Amino acid sequence: MKADTSAAAIPDRKTERHWRDSAIHVLPFLAIFGFAAIVPMVTNDYWALIATRAAIYWMLVSGLNLVVGFAGQLAIGYVALLTLGAYTTSVLVSGNVLPPFPLFAAFGVAALFGAIFGVIVGLPALRLRTFYFAMSTLGFATIVTQIALAWQSVTGGGIGIAGPEFPPPFNTTTGLFYFCLGCAVLGTWMTANVAHSRFGRALIAIRDAEVATESLGISKPKMLVSIFLLAGAFAAFAGGLFATLQTYITPDAFSFDLSVLFFIAILIGGRGSILGPLLGTIILTLLPEFAAPLAAWSTFLYAVLLLAVVLVAPGGIAALLDFKNRRPLQSNRAIIPRPAVLPELLSRESAHTTIALRDISLSFGAVRAIDGLNLDIVPARIHGLIGPNGSGKTTTLNVISGYYAPQSGTVSLGDTELPRGRPETRAEHGIARTFQTPRTVGEASVLQNVMIGGTIAGQGTLVESLLSLPRHRADERMLEETARLALRVVGLESLASVRADRLQHSELRFLEIARALMLRPRFLMLDEPAAGLSVDEIARLGGLIKEIKGQGVGVLLVEHHADLIFDICDQITVLNLGRVLAAGTPSEIRQHKEVVSAYLGG
Amino acid sequence: MKITRREFTKGTAAAAGAAALGLASPAIAQSGPIRIGWLAALTGASSAPAIGFDRGVKFATETINAAGGVKGRKIEIITRDTQGDPTKAVNATQEMISQLKVDAVWGPTNSGESLAITPIMSRAKMPNIHPCVIDSLIDAQKFPNAFRIAPSNSQWDDAVRRYTLQILKAKKVAVIGDTTGYGVAALNASVAALKKDGAEVVYQANIDATQPDMTPDMLRAKNAGAEAIVVWSTSTGMDARLFNTRANMGWDVAFVGHPSMSSGEIKALIDKPANWEKVYAVGYRSCSYDANGKLPPHSEEFVSKLKGKTELKDTLLWWVAGGYDAVTLVAKAFQEGAASHEDIIKYWNSVKNYPGYFGEYTFTPTEHNGYPGKDVVMSDASTAKDGTFRLAPGYA
Amino acid sequence: MLASILASGLAVGAVYALIGVTYNTMFSTSRVMSFTAGQLGMLGGVFGSLFVLRLGLPVIPGLIATLLCCAVVGVITEILAVRPVLKSLDQHLYVLSTLALALMVQQITAIEWSTEPQPFPKIFDIGPGFLDQKFWLPIAACAVTIVGLEFLYRRTLVGHAFVAIAEDNFAARALGLPERNLRMASYALAAAIGGFAGFAGGQLLLAFVANGPLLNFYGFVPVALGGLGNNRGAVVGGLALGLFQQAANFLVGGIFSSVAVFVMFIVVLLAAPQGLFGSSSARRV
Repeated sequence: MKADTSAAAIPDRKTERHWRDSAIHVLPFLAIFGFAAIVPMVTNDYWALIATRAAIYWMLVSGLNLVVGFAGQLAIGYVALLTLGAYTTSVLVSGNVLPPFPLFAAFGVAALFGAIFGVIVGLPALRLRTFYFAMSTLGFATIVTQIALAWQSVTGGGIGIAGPEFPPPFNTTTGLFYFCLGCAVLGTWMTANVAHSRFGRALIAIRDAEVATESLGISKPKMLVSIFLLAGAFAAFAGGLFATLQTYITPDAFSFDLSVLFFIAILIGGRGSILGPLLGTIILTLLPEFAAPLAAWSTFLYAVLLLAVVLVAPGGIAALLDFKNRRPLQSNRAIIPRPAVLPELLSRESAHTTIALRDISLSFGAVRAIDGLNLDIVPARIHGLIGPNGSGKTTTLNVISGYYAPQSGTVSLGDTELPRGRPETRAEHGIARTFQTPRTVGEASVLQNVMIGGTIAGQGTLVESLLSLPRHRADERMLEETARLALRVVGLESLASVRADRLQHSELRFLEIARALMLRPRFLMLDEPAAGLSVDEIARLGGLIKEIKGQGVGVLLVEHHADLIFDICDQITVLNLGRVLAAGTPSEIRQHKEVVSAYLGG
Repeated sequence: MKITRREFTKGTAAAAGAAALGLASPAIAQSGPIRIGWLAALTGASSAPAIGFDRGVKFATETINAAGGVKGRKIEIITRDTQGDPTKAVNATQEMISQLKVDAVWGPTNSGESLAITPIMSRAKMPNIHPCVIDSLIDAQKFPNAFRIAPSNSQWDDAVRRYTLQILKAKKVAVIGDTTGYGVAALNASVAALKKDGAEVVYQANIDATQPDMTPDMLRAKNAGAEAIVVWSTSTGMDARLFNTRANMGWDVAFVGHPSMSSGEIKALIDKPANWEKVYAVGYRSCSYDANGKLPPHSEEFVSKLKGKTELKDTLLWWVAGGYDAVTLVAKAFQEGAASHEDIIKYWNSVKNYPGYFGEYTFTPTEHNGYPGKDVVMSDASTAKDGTFRLAPGYA
Repeated sequence: MLASILASGLAVGAVYALIGVTYNTMFSTSRVMSFTAGQLGMLGGVFGSLFVLRLGLPVIPGLIATLLCCAVVGVITEILAVRPVLKSLDQHLYVLSTLALALMVQQITAIEWSTEPQPFPKIFDIGPGFLDQKFWLPIAACAVTIVGLEFLYRRTLVGHAFVAIAEDNFAARALGLPERNLRMASYALAAAIGGFAGFAGGQLLLAFVANGPLLNFYGFVPVALGGLGNNRGAVVGGLALGLFQQAANFLVGGIFSSVAVFVMFIVVLLAAPQGLFGSSSARRV
C-alpha cells in the first residue's frame, strides 16, 4: 500500500513541477517580447523599424516553422506567399480592381488567399520526395514575382503599388511596431499551442518517423494540408504588414534572399523548437544592420551559417539552449515493467473478433515473399511467428498492418475485410504494432514519443488547439496521463522527460510498446521485440506480453529468440520461404521433425 | 570625426525624451560637419551607376572640404550600401532619418528602392535628391521634399521618340522590353506615347533577358515592317543578342532606346564591331562630343578638373557629374544660409538655371523635375570615350 | 520561324539535359540530389570565359582547365556537403547542405566575377544561322557525353563499379569496392559534365552568374520528367523542355513562358511522381 500513499502525494508535486516547467518555457518569450516592447521608448524610429521588420518576419517564420521545423517539409520559397499577401492587401485597399476594401477585411482576404495558395504550393509535398518539393516551392517563388510583373493592371507591374496604410494610432512607426509586435506575440502563442498539441507531435513524427505515424492512424495528407493552410495564412498576413511597413511594393522587394532568410532562420534556430527560430529570425534581421561593411556578403554568410549548422550543430540554437538534456543519465538503469498497472490502461472489454489471413500471396519482382499463407490472430492469445531470415515473417506483419498490398488473398477482422495497402486505417480497428528497428522521434522526449501513440484519441480540432480551447486542454491532460501510465507499465517513467535519442536500444523497444499501448489495442503485433535485450530484460518482456494478453489482447510475436517464443506463445506458426512449414502449440512444434532439424538446430 | 557604424547608445536618452513627449526635432545641427546621407547600390546586380555617382560624390566632397568647407563646416558623406534591395533601402533611410539625423539624402539610385523610400522620406520631410527615372517619384504636392536631378523616364522616352520619329523619320516602330519591372513599365509607357504621336507600333514584346535566341521576335518585327526598334532593357546581354541577331538577319534597322545599349560590356558580347552600329542610346548634351571630339566647354572644364583624380574609363561621365552636382546642391543650400530641412527645400525650390556639370537645373515649388528635357539626346552607342559618347547623327 | 524555335529549343534543351545528367550522375553513387548541379553549368561558362578570354589560353587547354576546376568543385561538394550527411539520408540534410554550398558558389561568383553577363569566346566560326556555334555545340556536347557515359558504364571497369554501386550500395561494398573513392570520382565526373554543359552552351547563355539558379531549376525538370537516375530520360526530357520553353516564349511571351514551364512541371510531377520513364519506388519498411 506504500505505492498508494506516494501516488496520492504526486498530484501536488506534479502541479508545482508543471507550473515551474511552463514558467521555464514561457520566460524567454516574455523576456524577448518585453525587451522588444521597450525598444521604441529607449531608442528611435530606426530601431523601431528594424524591430517591426523582425516581428513581421517572425509572423511568417512562426507559421513556416510548423512546416519546416516540425513537419520537416523543406519549403524554401515561402517569399511567394509573402508576395501574395502583400499584393492582395495593397490591391484590395487601393481599390484599383474592386471597390476599396476596409483595411482589416483586406487582411482577412489576404490570409484566406494565403491559406489556399499555401495548400496549392504544398500539394506536391504529399506525393513528392523532399528535394522535388523544395524545387517546386522554389519555382513557385519565381513565378509569383513574374505574375506580379506581368499583371500590370492589377499589381502596377514594375512600377508597383502603394502598400496599405493603417488608421491611427497604428499609422506611426511606433504604432505600427506595437501592432506588429502584438501579431507576433499572438502568432507565437498560437503556433506554440499547435506545437504542444497532438498535432504538433504528429508533425514531428511525420518528419522523423513517417512509417510509424501511419501505423498510429495519423493521416499525413490531412496533417500537412491543415498546416499548409495555417502557414499560408500567417505568411500572407505577414505580407500585408510587410507592404504596410515598406509603404510601397515592387516585385524586386521580394527577393529570393528573403526566402533564404526565412528558411535559414528556422534551421539555425533548430527544428522542432519555437524559441530557437524566434532567436534565429531576430539574429538574421539584425545581423546586416550591425555588419554593414559585409552587406555584399550577407547571403554568403547565411549560407555559411546554414552549412555550419547542418554539419556541426544539427540541433541549432535550440539544442544549445537545451541544458536539461545535458545532465548525464544514470548509467546502470534497469527497465522494470509494472504489468500490474495494465488494467488501468487497457480497460476496454476484450474483443471477440479474430484477424484472419486467407491465401495471402505477395511477390517482389521474381521473389515470392509470401505464398498462400493462412493465419489467425485470436484475442487473448499469443501467436508466435518464427522462421529463418527471409522466410516472410516481417512481410506477413507488414501485410496485416497494411504497408504491403498482397497480390492475392484477404486480411479480415471479424466480418470486415481490412483495406489492403492502407496502413493508416489499422489504428482505428485497434491494431497496433512495433517495428524491427524502433521508429521513434529522437529529438522529442520519451513522454512526447508515447503521447504520439494516442494522437487519434484526441477530440479537439486543430482550431481548438490553435486557440487553446477547453477540449484541447482536456485532450492534452488525458494524453499525458495515459502516456505516463503507459510508461509506468513498461517501466520507463523515470525517463519521461529525456530526449528519446539518449535512450539505449532496449529502452527504445519498450518505448515503442508503450506507444502502441496508447491505442488501447485489441491486437498488438511485435516485430522482434527481444532483439538486443539482455536475458533479464527478455524475461521481463515476456512477463509484460503475457500480462497484455491477459487483458484480452491478441498478440502476434515475430521473434528469433526461441526460448521466449516457446515460453509464452499459445500458438506458433513456422514459416519457410513464404509458406507455412508447421503450425500448432509449442509442444507440437517442438516435436515437429522438419522444424527441429531445419530451424531449431537439433 | 569618423562616424562609427550605427552607434546604438549615443543620443538614446535625448531620443527617448523626444519620443515620450511626442516631439519631432525639425532643427538640424548648426555646427559640426554637414551630413549628407548617400543611399547607394554599390554592390549587387545594378551597381554600375552608383559606383559612378560615388566617384562624383567623393570628388565633390574632397574639393569642397579642401577649400575649407561651407562656411567653415566640412561635408561629411554617410554611405549605406543598399544592394538595390528596397528592403535594405527602407532600413537605411529610417536610420538616416532617426539615428544619424542627416541634413539631406542623396539617392537611392534604383527606381524600385526609390519607390519604397519616397513616402518615408516625405513623412520625415527629409530633403532628398535622387536620379531615379520613374515619373511618379516626383510630385511636388505629394512629396514636397523630393527633387530629381536626372531625366525622368518620360524625358528619356520623349528623346527616344523625338529621335525615332523626327530624325530617323520612322513611321512603323517595334518596341521591345525585357521582363523586369522596369522593362514592362517602360515598354507600356513608350508604346502609349508613340501611338499618341501618331506612330504605328507594329510589334511589341517583353522578352526574357536570358532567352538565348532573339530571332523569332526580330523576325516578327521585320515581317511587321518595323523601320526602327525601340529597346527598353537594362540587360546588356539581351542588347548584344539583339544586335547580333540583326546582323545575322542582314537587316539594317536602327535600335533606339535605353542607355544600357551603350554600355562598354557590349563590346565583348557582340560578334563583330559592325553589329553595334546604328544603335542609338539615350545620352546627354553635356556628356556628348561633337564630330570633332569636343565636349561642350562647361563639361571640358569638369573633365580637366577630374583628370588624374577620378577614373572615367570604366564609368559614365554623367554619373560622376550627377554625383558631383548632388553634393554641391546641398552645399549651396548651406552656403545660402539654410539652417533647417525646410530651409534646404526652400532653397532648392528657388534654384533657377543652376549650372551643374551634368545639366542646368531649375526647380520651382511646383516642378521638382530639375533636368532640362531638351538636353536629353541620343548618342551613338558604340562611341564611348572616357564615359562620353558621340552625339547621334541628325542633331543640329 | 519554326526552324529558329527548333534550333534554339534543341540547343538550350541539350544544356538542360546535360545538367539533368549531372544530377543523375551525382545521385547514382550517393542517392543525393545536389543544388550545385546548376551552379556547375554556370561555372563552366564562367571558367571558360576566364581561361580563354581573360587569361588567353588556347581553347583545348582552356576547356581542360575549366573541366578540372569544375571537377574540383564537384569533389568539394562531395567532401563538404554530401559525405557528412550520408549517415542520415532519411533526414534529407543534403537538401540543406548542398543548398548552402550552391548559394556560396553563386555569391562568390557574383562578387569576384561579375553580376553582368560576360562574353564567352567563339571557338568555331564556321558560319551564321544554324552553323553558329551556339546552336550546334551544346547538342554535339550532349551527344558526346551520352556516348561517352554509355562507353564508360558498359566497357570500363570503373564504369562497372559505378553501376554496381548505383544498383546496390551494400552489395557493392561487400564486394570490396572502394565506395568512397568511387563516389568522389562520380562527383568529379558529374561536375565535369556540368562544366562541359556550361562551356558548350557558353555562347548561348554567356558567362553569367544568374545562369546558376536558372540551370538548377531547368536542369532539374528533365530529371523529374525522365525519372531519377535515368540518363536517357533526362536527354529526352531536356530536349522536350527546351522546345516547350522556346515555343512558349514565342507563343505567350517571355513572362508567361516561365509560368507555363512551371505549371507543366507541377502537373507532370503530380500525375507521374516517378517521371514519365521512371520506375516505382523502393520498399519502405
